[in-house]
Amino acid sequence: MQVFHIRYRNAQGTLMRILNAVSRRGLDLTTVHAEGAGQDYAVTMLLEVNPKQIGQLYREWYAIVDVIEVRSRAVLHEQEVPAWGAHPPASESVSDRATQAALA
Amino acid sequence: MLKGAEIVLRCIRAEGVDLVFGYPGGAIMPLYDALDGSGVRHVLTRHEQGAVFAAEGYARVTGKVGVAMATSGPGATNLVTGIADAKMDSVPLVCITGQVRTAMIGTDAFQETDVFGVTLSLTKWSRLVRTIDEIPDAIAEGFYWARSGRPGPVVIDIPTDILKAKKEFSGPLKFKPHARPADAKAESTFSDAIVALLQRATRPVALVGAGAKLSGAIPELRRLLDDLNVPTFATVHGLGAVPPQSPYYLGMVGMHGTRAANTALHETDLLMVFGARLDDRVTGDPTRFAPNAKIVHFEIDPAQLDRVRTCDLPVIGNLADTIPAFHAEARKASLPDWSGWRAVACGAERAELDPRGLAQPTIRFLDELFSRLPQDNVIIADVGQHQMWAAQRYRSSSPRGFITSGGLGAMGFALPAAVGVQLAKPDTCVLCVSGDGGFQMNIQELATVHRLGLPIKMVIVDNKYLGMVRQWQQLFYERNYAETDLSDNPDFVEIAKAYKIRGWRLNEAAMVEFPVSAETGDLIDNFLSSPGPELLVFDCAPEANVYPMVPAGAALSEMVFEDAE
Repeated sequence: MQVFHIRYRNAQGTLMRILNAVSRRGLDLTTVHAEGAGQDYAVTMLLEVNPKQIGQLYREWYAIVDVIEVRSRAVLHEQEVPAWGAHPPASESVSDRATQAALA
Repeated sequence: MLKGAEIVLRCIRAEGVDLVFGYPGGAIMPLYDALDGSGVRHVLTRHEQGAVFAAEGYARVTGKVGVAMATSGPGATNLVTGIADAKMDSVPLVCITGQVRTAMIGTDAFQETDVFGVTLSLTKWSRLVRTIDEIPDAIAEGFYWARSGRPGPVVIDIPTDILKAKKEFSGPLKFKPHARPADAKAESTFSDAIVALLQRATRPVALVGAGAKLSGAIPELRRLLDDLNVPTFATVHGLGAVPPQSPYYLGMVGMHGTRAANTALHETDLLMVFGARLDDRVTGDPTRFAPNAKIVHFEIDPAQLDRVRTCDLPVIGNLADTIPAFHAEARKASLPDWSGWRAVACGAERAELDPRGLAQPTIRFLDELFSRLPQDNVIIADVGQHQMWAAQRYRSSSPRGFITSGGLGAMGFALPAAVGVQLAKPDTCVLCVSGDGGFQMNIQELATVHRLGLPIKMVIVDNKYLGMVRQWQQLFYERNYAETDLSDNPDFVEIAKAYKIRGWRLNEAAMVEFPVSAETGDLIDNFLSSPGPELLVFDCAPEANVYPMVPAGAALSEMVFEDAE
């Protein structure tokens, strides 16, 4: 299981676009919670995804013009789902990782 | 005080729009009422799908934003295929739709459709305008997103009462995007990393997609490729980005790509991708795509990375920035001598098509047709066998000279798109190549062609089948030609005549002779040089197939050739 935190501007349809990226892949939305987060909004989702889907979702969400930030981390149990801001997982640089792997 | 409709038109004028395509109806009538004297020319198509494809044609050939207008309900839903097409092929498009009155929204009113919801997953950005005050902001932001980054479609849905309402108008706005802390940018070290990969590579290749032309990076790309001098090929939307006469150019890659391109792609150990999505028509079986290669992917849209095959080194950013940065480093580096690999990959034994394929009458016809086009030309292909034959035989170095519905594969695209292209390029020879199936999907646009007197040269490759589907039925469904027979096609020459367009007919028997007879050559020349719209029906064998072909699910190395039938 993977928990995703997406911070976004609450423009028309932005949350729906975020959810569309999940539903178009036929993924079950186990947990969804959206709320105000300071000046922005945030949605937290728990999804059963494989590593490739994690990358695809990251990139698809970032392509939504009103998405500000995407973070995620693996969780073992649903109860571990943190509230937005309480346990922000550290994000990795995809490019750095990829560069190292490419040159390995 | 200005009406909402007048504000819309003033705002789109401020965005540089002087031509829109559309079809009127109830909810959008106030906008049509305000057109006169607005400085915006409206082109009436005969179906909303025609309007959106025409707007796409205009956008694809100019790089500017295409604009389509339609009313609520069925008018708006008829735009949907074009919107999906623009999303797939990165076309800057703004669709302005009328909506029922604000008070009626959500009541299932007459001609009410939730076009915002219907198009949500197809658009890059959209807005249901709720007050007249929002119009300038919605137009400015919509146009910004349509043309920025990876271009795409935008829908602006405006209720009819807002189009009729009045307010003081202080002028159009300019949209400034919000900064994002993690905005994707090319890593500063990527050039060193690619150079390091190149220094280790023994069989490097380059794959060019639409991103090169969309980013305006064609000169930079050509300079880079000339210096690298590695085997290079293009996707269907990348055709024209690399001059075909370049000694390292191998033609189109993918399902109907050339033997040389697909073979080199299968054998490479370093694949550099410049602005291509690597969709399944390019990769074949993704698990066996470039199986021994590291992949470096230059791409503006991070969402396109790793969709079907994980890339080893993403270079995210505008190719106009990233290519020169990489080129500067590559120039300084000492790179291996790849002449041996180049000689193998570009060698004569990997001819672009096998000789039997070249003898195919439709290919000969397209070769003959293309060779007689004036220098300044644009070819628009519909979807199907003729599209792939045309793509295989395209020999121009004009990056925006070959236009087709590539990602979505929307039949019926070519004729209305040609309308948009011809209006954008009135002095250019516009050649529209369709099949008999696709032509009938938007055949009503012959009326638009006639009304505007557009000198479009329309060709129907008529095999009296839905040819590509029939080809698959032949090869993979034991010749069960289920519902692909179009042998009762109408007489297209007579139909053209009914629209006051001259029709011509040519049988493939005329192509057996090589070179073609003077009579056939004259017919083609006269067809192409006529000052008005012309339709040429090319009657061809019903069971001709497009080769080479990579069957669905096969690797690029598993191309099928004509001999295999």
